[in-house]
Amino acid sequence: MKILSIDLDRCVGCQNCELTCSFYQIGDFNRERSNIWVSFYPEDRFIVTLTCVQCEKPACMTVCPNGALQRDPKTQAVVVDENRCLGCRMCMQACPFGNIHMNREKRVVQKCNLCEGDPKCVRFCMGQAINFVDVDDLAEGKRKSLDYRLKKLYPVLGSGAEK
Amino acid sequence: MRCGQEITIDDGKIVEIRGLEAHPQNRGRICHKGRAAVDLVNHPDRLLKPLKKKPNGSFAEISYDQALDEIAERMTRIKTQVGARSVGVWKGEALGFFQQEEYARRFIHAFGSPNYFSNDSECFNGRYFGYKVVQGYWNGCPDFEHADLMIFWGSNPPFSHPPQARLIANGKERGAKIIVIDPRLTSIAYKADLFLQPLPGTDGALAWGLMRHLIETQTVDRPFVEKYSVGFEQIAQYAKTFDPEFVEKQTGVPSDIFLDAAQMIVESRPKITHYVGNGLEHHENGINNIRAVACLGGLCGAIDIEGGDPWPESMGGHDLTLYHELPLLDQKPIGAEKFPVLYQLRQECHTMLAMDYMLGKGAYPLRGLIVAGANPLLTNPNSRKVKEAFASLDLLVVRELFLTPTAKLAHYVIPAASFLERSELHYHPHCQLVTLTTKILEIPGVVDEYTFWRDLSGRLGFGEKYFPWDNEEEVNRWILEPTGISLEELKQHPEGIRYKPIRFRKYREKPFATPTGKFEFASQYLKDLGYPEIPEYRPPRYVNHPQKEFPFILTTGARKYLYYHSRYRNIKRFRSHIPAAEMEIHPDDAEGLGVKDMEQVRVTSEVGSIDIPAKIVHEREIRQGVLQITHGWDDVNVNLITPDHVNDPISGFPLLKAIPVRIEKIS
Repeated sequence: MKILSIDLDRCVGCQNCELTCSFYQIGDFNRERSNIWVSFYPEDRFIVTLTCVQCEKPACMTVCPNGALQRDPKTQAVVVDENRCLGCRMCMQACPFGNIHMNREKRVVQKCNLCEGDPKCVRFCMGQAINFVDVDDLAEGKRKSLDYRLKKLYPVLGSGAEK
Repeated sequence: MRCGQEITIDDGKIVEIRGLEAHPQNRGRICHKGRAAVDLVNHPDRLLKPLKKKPNGSFAEISYDQALDEIAERMTRIKTQVGARSVGVWKGEALGFFQQEEYARRFIHAFGSPNYFSNDSECFNGRYFGYKVVQGYWNGCPDFEHADLMIFWGSNPPFSHPPQARLIANGKERGAKIIVIDPRLTSIAYKADLFLQPLPGTDGALAWGLMRHLIETQTVDRPFVEKYSVGFEQIAQYAKTFDPEFVEKQTGVPSDIFLDAAQMIVESRPKITHYVGNGLEHHENGINNIRAVACLGGLCGAIDIEGGDPWPESMGGHDLTLYHELPLLDQKPIGAEKFPVLYQLRQECHTMLAMDYMLGKGAYPLRGLIVAGANPLLTNPNSRKVKEAFASLDLLVVRELFLTPTAKLAHYVIPAASFLERSELHYHPHCQLVTLTTKILEIPGVVDEYTFWRDLSGRLGFGEKYFPWDNEEEVNRWILEPTGISLEELKQHPEGIRYKPIRFRKYREKPFATPTGKFEFASQYLKDLGYPEIPEYRPPRYVNHPQKEFPFILTTGARKYLYYHSRYRNIKRFRSHIPAAEMEIHPDDAEGLGVKDMEQVRVTSEVGSIDIPAKIVHEREIRQGVLQITHGWDDVNVNLITPDHVNDPISGFPLLKAIPVRIEKIS
């Protein structure tokens, strides 16, 4: 399954993703409509960008009393059926990450639906921090990234044969 | 940033702009400033017909030919009455960069006037000089990707140059560390391993302190310094004063953090990128502060190496300017005497002096001006004076996409083509790449820059001689002639062609482009002009001579993600994200004044006052005592309170980032 993976080290906090997400929904740059969030913590100089991780066992889906949250068979994303959503907010309470929010105009909940398999935030991420990847490839990518750092440490940690 | 774009057109209208995957500049990524063309090109307020100012002050439509006839006639009248040099051109960034700039330079020299002005007498050239004088080149994009340490001096690339974000993230992923030096907690400062928050304008003291540390700890790149530089002994002597305690006193940066930074530099040598932004050039000692940073780069051994500060080579195409053929130095270019470095190194006349010449206080009168895509009424300091000067002209022609505040003052407004309505060459020196943009649209009645200058020169009698090409395509072909790259080849490669392979340490085989051919810690050139030979540090005036009536320090011009100087405020969706001007203030300062968040306050400098809401930011986001207002807002124009008469002595750049002000509650 492909998910949106966000490398926080690469994120530079430009918020292009938020604007893109809003744009492709409503043609406007309204952060409140974005399904991806960039949060700034100046006290710790820390930026976190977060969106739905499309859980294997989605609490939102389990708790929805009206079956408004379903898995898209094509993309495996958990998507909101706006016609079925009652706006009861049970899913918002159930989601441990806070990744579902209320669309105040439509009075239904909204969340990332992976743009039907072509998540727009990926192409517009200036730091290339957001990637749409298979979870297995993701693990491999992380290993490779760590390898770079190990390579630098190698002269220190290595067997000594290099010296 | 001239990123590669992939544009979708439906029924003659642009409907989508995406980043071009193959373009080395942005690799498929694009920010919303780049996509703004969708809104700009189709904007309902876009100027489509030439306008002429009527005696009652309103505009009436006029035909293009009639407008140009009248402009040429008025230019000729000024030339006959007071001389050709009393007409100038002024280039902005709304209509492009290099090639568009060269057309304007060519035109005005062909007319007989040396007075070419641009935004570059208050932006970019400060950084260029600081580096050019020391090492003969300036690289707008050092090699972040392969660095071990990236140092950002008063720059915030994620906002100012978004495609660099990817390169910086690549470097970071490889394990590079980041140091950010800025009075504000910018987005790049969030990513820093060390964040130094100095008092505005004191960066030079930091750079000298770091140089002292390298010299004292004998971690200077000795082979480079001994073989390829001049003036090391002088800087070694001068640096002695800058011990950590002195640096702390000058900059407000705690000495332990300063020493951590110094240690990080020592450990990361030589693969260090120093990236100096706009933040350093708008100060009374700006150029010397930047020079000091350039010298520090030399001590680190970062010069022209991978992962450091490579020396970009140019393509070597034909030059459109006429400085060899028609130098016109006897015509006394405005500013060449008072700020010779700007003229000698960049052939720029000084906009800080242009207003005086317009207002009759110069060595000769400046009576006519053709402005191409610039909006000095909002972007030059001391806006009231700018307005008065522009309003006094006998002839003001403005080429624009929109009726800007500057265009409103014009006698003639000529609608300009956007970058999608012309074809031009672009250079990306850091990757030694040339690209050709495609003209994808034509709007009836709107001509490109080349056509405009050609048509006007034809009416002035020098069209055949100096603008002989039929169209911009022929110009592009001519520019490429000596390069071995053909126009046809470039058309087939929208991602561009690398005109030369990148090589490092070129100084081993060719001299640096400095007077001595060496890396110049000390500059005889500047000394001969009466400036300090080494980049001496001078504390900002507000530190040495604080004024009781102006207890706060205002810095201006911090970039907002979606705006480009005064541009794009008319794009509705941009305004949804950033609706209005505000003044950033430290919470303790706001509390001291009894000001609530977003409460309207009056900010007063020695130049004037503006009213603006006070945005109380987090205590770490800005230094206490420092305020920030971004420029470019028509309704709350911060340049109404910025001075044009306090200048860096070398560049003549205005003081825009350490202005003494006071704050009053309005209620």
